[in-house]
Amino acid sequence: MKLATKLILFISGSKFIIVGLFILVLPVLVGEIASEYTNYMLRMQRAEVMQTIHKNGLDYYLQGENEYGSYTMLREEYIALEQTDHAVLQDTIRDAKRVIEGDTLNYRILSHVFTHQGRHYLLEIGKTTASIDHYNRPLQRVTLYALVFLIALTVLVDIVFTRILVRPLSLIIKTKLLNRKFPFRRKPELVQTSTTDFRYLDESLVLLMQQINEAFEKEREFTANASHEFMTPISILQSKMENLLRDDLVNDDAAVRVVEMMRTLDRLKRISGSLLLISRIDNEQYTKTDTLPIASMIEELMAEVDFKLEEQGIQTSRTLRPDIALLHVNADLLFQLFYNLIHNAIKFTPSGGKISITDQLLTDGAYQIQISDTGAGIPSEQLPFVFDRFKKSTSGNQTGFGLGLAIVKRIATYHHMQIEVSSQVNKGTQFTLTFAAKNVKKVE
Amino acid sequence: MHVLIVEDEKTLAYEMADFLKKAFYVCDLAHTLEKGIESVSVNRYDFILIDLGLPDGDGLDMLQQVKAHNSEAAIIILTARGNLEDRIKGLDLGADDYLAKPFYLLELQSRMQAIARRKFDIKEELIPVGNFQIDLQKRFVLYGQDTIELSRKEFDLLSYLLLHKNRVLTRMQLSEHIWGTVAVDDFDSNYIDAHIKNIRKKLNVWAHTDWLETVRGVGYRIKIQ
Repeated sequence: MKLATKLILFISGSKFIIVGLFILVLPVLVGEIASEYTNYMLRMQRAEVMQTIHKNGLDYYLQGENEYGSYTMLREEYIALEQTDHAVLQDTIRDAKRVIEGDTLNYRILSHVFTHQGRHYLLEIGKTTASIDHYNRPLQRVTLYALVFLIALTVLVDIVFTRILVRPLSLIIKTKLLNRKFPFRRKPELVQTSTTDFRYLDESLVLLMQQINEAFEKEREFTANASHEFMTPISILQSKMENLLRDDLVNDDAAVRVVEMMRTLDRLKRISGSLLLISRIDNEQYTKTDTLPIASMIEELMAEVDFKLEEQGIQTSRTLRPDIALLHVNADLLFQLFYNLIHNAIKFTPSGGKISITDQLLTDGAYQIQISDTGAGIPSEQLPFVFDRFKKSTSGNQTGFGLGLAIVKRIATYHHMQIEVSSQVNKGTQFTLTFAAKNVKKVE
Repeated sequence: MHVLIVEDEKTLAYEMADFLKKAFYVCDLAHTLEKGIESVSVNRYDFILIDLGLPDGDGLDMLQQVKAHNSEAAIIILTARGNLEDRIKGLDLGADDYLAKPFYLLELQSRMQAIARRKFDIKEELIPVGNFQIDLQKRFVLYGQDTIELSRKEFDLLSYLLLHKNRVLTRMQLSEHIWGTVAVDDFDSNYIDAHIKNIRKKLNVWAHTDWLETVRGVGYRIKIQ
């Protein structure tokens, strides 16, 4: 999951949980507030009544009678004042039932007993509990609406802001990490951001890429120069040996030794040549303008190794479509590639084995060739390294210095072909090459 | 035949001259581009062998001078650079052939022979080899009136041995001539042996092939008078 998605999910999630909890306790909270407010109102009213009595005397209410009572039209509130015998000066607020004009209603009642001119009086101020709850509901509803609106608004703001905040990161990922093909030809550009973490990450990545590039360049240069510089000394040695071999003074024994020296030199020459080939591919010194009828090229190649197959008693089967031509390729390099693969198959296939070359045109227009043998196979732990340079096979007493498959890999990469290898020990090895549709043409 | 070798690597130049002298070529040496151009303007050469990487310039620059002063000379470019552009450019500028270092002197001599045959229009007759006759141009082997079928590689091998008759050729020299620069890391010279075996098998049906000798530990030789 992307960081932005995670952040948004987390922020909105935590908000919804908190709001949910708040909504659950909202009735209790609002009830508490209403109740507190009612009590407060009742006390205010009592204070007002007491002040009036203090100022105007008790007769302002009683007007000579023993008791006074008044209530609002809907009997939501009432006030009562009467003489009482209770000497206890009580001052309470409680819920109780009162009967007013034959209706029994639930009231929140403030009872206050006070003394006036030696007499005890009881003041009661009441408010129906129903009217208290009356405000409860609208209050809850309004609070709920306001909350939902606010939450929606903040979540929206969060989404927008998180996106803006995280955008440099996705840019870094897009430009530096995804679909990057090594070597990095273009110099990477820094992503604009004010977030120091991202800037640090970006700069580190750019630095790393540059270092990798430099290391690769150096290696490429070294390979090219070294193998190139070998050529002249090898030339000199080779010429000297050739001349020595022709010299009448050299006897048969010495001649054999000279030839052995030549063979060693030949090996050195082949190593340098192979390295030079690899570095030339890396330097893109080969054109890719050939159109190559693949089946006839394989035929030509097989004709060259036919006697070898015969000698080793290896069977071959080839079922290649004759109507496929490969476009925008280098014919020499592809010849080299298939030569190395087939040479490899021959090398590892024992007498009586079989090498088969098959192909198919895939539905998306891509073209696949398989080269399979029934040879020694490659142990699975060595499979990931078969295309590495100078990786010698440990099985058997095979010669070679392991550049054959490295060359195969370079040529494949150079042509944007996919190459896969699968193998089972003692069962055989299969190489699969896939050419993209744009490199494939059907010919009549 | 008069040959000018323009090569800054003196040891290599001497070895080339040594080899070619034994094949009855007369060799001049030049170790710089300047010396080379000087020699070309004074002498007439049949062959000019030019190294591309000279200390005072690119060998390709010399090609124009050669064309001006010594247009009939055949030019072979020798280089360790070995990239395709140089090759195309060199051949465009009028070079007759191109050899990448390191090359076998034998191969150089063969290329020179081939150019000479082409330039001077030498038509060889059928060359008798034992009881057979071989036509190197039209590429066939005859026994009496019958043509013997050889594969392309087999014929290449036989004709190379024949061109350098009475001389032992190593398997390396032979395989480089036949396979060129295909980069096989563990090229095994059995390939040559297998081809020789096949040639003998095909020819032995008609007559003995004592003239095609195996020189133990060294290589192969066609021995004829």
